[in-house]
Amino acid sequence: MGSISAGDTAFIIVSAALVLMMTPALGLFYGGMVREKNVLSTIMQSFIMIALISFQWVYIGYSISFGPDLGGVIGDLSWFGLKGIGAEPSDTYATTIPHLLFVMYQCMFAVITPALITGAFAERIKFGPFLVFGLLWAVLVYNPVCHWIWGGGWLSKLGVMDFAGGLVVHLTSGIAALVAAILIGPRRGFGRRSFMPHNLPMTLLGTGLLWFGWFGFNAGSALAADGVAVGAFTATHLAAMAGMAAWSLVEKFHRGDATTLGAASGAIAGLATVTPAAGFITPSAAIVIGLVAGAVCYFAVSLKSRLGYDDSLDVVGIHGVGGLVGSLSIGIFASKAVNPAGADGLLYGNPSLLLTQAIGVAAVLLYAGTASFIILKVVDAIFGLRVSDEDEVQGLDLSQHSEKAYNFQ
Amino acid sequence: MNTGDTAFMMLATVLVMFMTPGLGLFYGGLVRAKNVLSTILQSFCCLGLVSLVWVFYGYSMAFGPDVAGFVGNLDWVFLKGVGIAPGPYSDTIPDLVFCAFQLMFAIITPALITGAYAERIKFTSYMLFTVLWVTFVYFPICHWVWGGGWLGSLGALDFAGGTVIHINSACAALAAALVIGKRRGYGREPIHPHNLPMTVLGGAILWVGWFGFNAGSALAADGIAALALFNTQVATGAALLAWMVAEWMKQGKPTTLGAVSGAVAGLVAITPAAGFVGPVPAIIIGLVAGVVCYLAVLLKGKLGYDDALDVVGIHGVGGVWGALATGLFASTAWNSGGADGLFYGNFHQFVIQAIGVGASIGYSFVVSFVILKVVDILLGLRVSEEEEVQGLDITQHSEIGYTN
Repeated sequence: MGSISAGDTAFIIVSAALVLMMTPALGLFYGGMVREKNVLSTIMQSFIMIALISFQWVYIGYSISFGPDLGGVIGDLSWFGLKGIGAEPSDTYATTIPHLLFVMYQCMFAVITPALITGAFAERIKFGPFLVFGLLWAVLVYNPVCHWIWGGGWLSKLGVMDFAGGLVVHLTSGIAALVAAILIGPRRGFGRRSFMPHNLPMTLLGTGLLWFGWFGFNAGSALAADGVAVGAFTATHLAAMAGMAAWSLVEKFHRGDATTLGAASGAIAGLATVTPAAGFITPSAAIVIGLVAGAVCYFAVSLKSRLGYDDSLDVVGIHGVGGLVGSLSIGIFASKAVNPAGADGLLYGNPSLLLTQAIGVAAVLLYAGTASFIILKVVDAIFGLRVSDEDEVQGLDLSQHSEKAYNFQ
Repeated sequence: MNTGDTAFMMLATVLVMFMTPGLGLFYGGLVRAKNVLSTILQSFCCLGLVSLVWVFYGYSMAFGPDVAGFVGNLDWVFLKGVGIAPGPYSDTIPDLVFCAFQLMFAIITPALITGAYAERIKFTSYMLFTVLWVTFVYFPICHWVWGGGWLGSLGALDFAGGTVIHINSACAALAAALVIGKRRGYGREPIHPHNLPMTVLGGAILWVGWFGFNAGSALAADGIAALALFNTQVATGAALLAWMVAEWMKQGKPTTLGAVSGAVAGLVAITPAAGFVGPVPAIIIGLVAGVVCYLAVLLKGKLGYDDALDVVGIHGVGGVWGALATGLFASTAWNSGGADGLFYGNFHQFVIQAIGVGASIGYSFVVSFVILKVVDILLGLRVSEEEEVQGLDITQHSEIGYTN
């Protein structure tokens, strides 16, 4: 058993607080993009995950994600209710900080992942069934995939790498969002009327908080205040700025004006994309990844209208595509010179890592997509996912929560 | 001196500082548009007022050498002798960092009270009240519990401020709501929050900042800090769900305001217990807090006082429950520096906690009441009816929050 390092503990406590902030920040990012009548319900769908998933995490989520391995597929229930976990460091994970702190840090990741999905079905889902979906999705998708990659499961044994959650967080939520958008169907009037974001400054505020929180997300994933953490910190910032620059430029040339919403989306695309690679790559690789992310995600989002599904707030185009590109980019840019605990990628003479990463991507896409499909179908059959036409026209704030966001008179 | 602890405590100080503007946004969204700036400013201004008072004599009164268990003496006026070497309260961080961390607590406590008299107090009276209140109420009670005073000596446990901050501010809030009276039209016409997304933003900032508040109260980056962080998260999540479900069952719909209020109730309730109890008691503390505070806020309508933004129902009831729950659930298995509570065979601890609650309620209510009366006689607490109708932003500050 290791001994506790004050520096590492200080760093991870603060990182956990930063990652917690990302979930309400996501609520604001999404909330500004919907119509005024749905802003509270949209914020709420992120906010409520903090409570729902923290609960789930303490009782079973942590145990099946990080508990003793069963056949490489899932953790067992020996840590049910955090039995035996205390302030002493764990033998396996983050051996220089209290085990409870590792549990809590990882909890924040479990919280934000289902919250990311909510952008796909914003403005039209019933609140109660949504909670059931969130809970089932955490148990059946997030926890297993988290175990496969971070909890000693089969993908990690295969050598698949994911520094801070490109596969575990962004790809799982991205593909779930695609499935959800298709199953739930477009919003009333989608494609015929334009849905203008009701409060873009709110979206920008959310972006700023996400960017800030992401330092805790990526640098904190080093689980120690060391050189790898600083590398991840640097990569995170550089990719975010490059993503913003690329998106804005492409938008300027493609559509004539660089928009604020585009700058925000580009930054998030850069952040999501660099997440899996952050601790394994050089600063210049981070810039390349960010530039590619900004451009590719821009086109992925543009493509949406042609494909006809209503992923309302572009979870697929940004998190799905970003997570996919980022996870593959490890296979190209990873370097043992940067992080000796990582591996070398294509550019450093090891083409097989790219193949390994591709297997990881395919496995997660297939599993998370299928499982999300089944969960959504089951919840729909039992409760009905979608609000009535009348409730949708009235807005979810009033129909689901009996509230009105603004009273400026 | 330890760099890890020092890094941690400086960041914890930043997090707690952030809570006061966060509180301003939380309260600001709940009032009417014509009062948003005055409400935010009543929190924000505490950052200035209390910082000055703290350096002049506040830190000395709260943490300086003890006088009869009641208050610190004035040896440390203008922070005389307080420097960058570790001080008497922690061996591993500079004394100035401890002083700054505690300052942030002294700032947010009077800011919490402002929710009770929102939308109707004169700004100058608010300033005078705040200075008098921290001097005669906050510094003494802080000294009783944390500065070597009589409650601390008795063995009262208050990890991060259930008694010192929440019960204390809520009793002042009750006194203020009673002395200043209801808002015009209260109970006859509906008074709706003008910007709930702003309130959610404030609530989220409070939650994040509260990790600094509770975990930082360990004063070191160690296992106790991790325990406090953990308990803060799960108790808050539990309270959020409990409030929301209670509301759903009783009033038909789960609201965003209910979710945020539940979260704050959980944060308040876990504050005194955070570093003394295990995770499962923390969840119980949160669940009970969510339901009880919800019912307390509902009850307000029947009792007839206008605690505009529910300081009493959330901070008072949550604070009392948390302080008593510490006496039930505290366990030396989790924190050997704490004590065992009733459920671990030590009834005595529960009695001590109850004494702490009773003493702070009595002292804070009575002294706050007197201060409010004095300020009312000197300056008048309440704006004129005309000014209240126009709104405090334009009448007190010549500003408006929104231009359309």
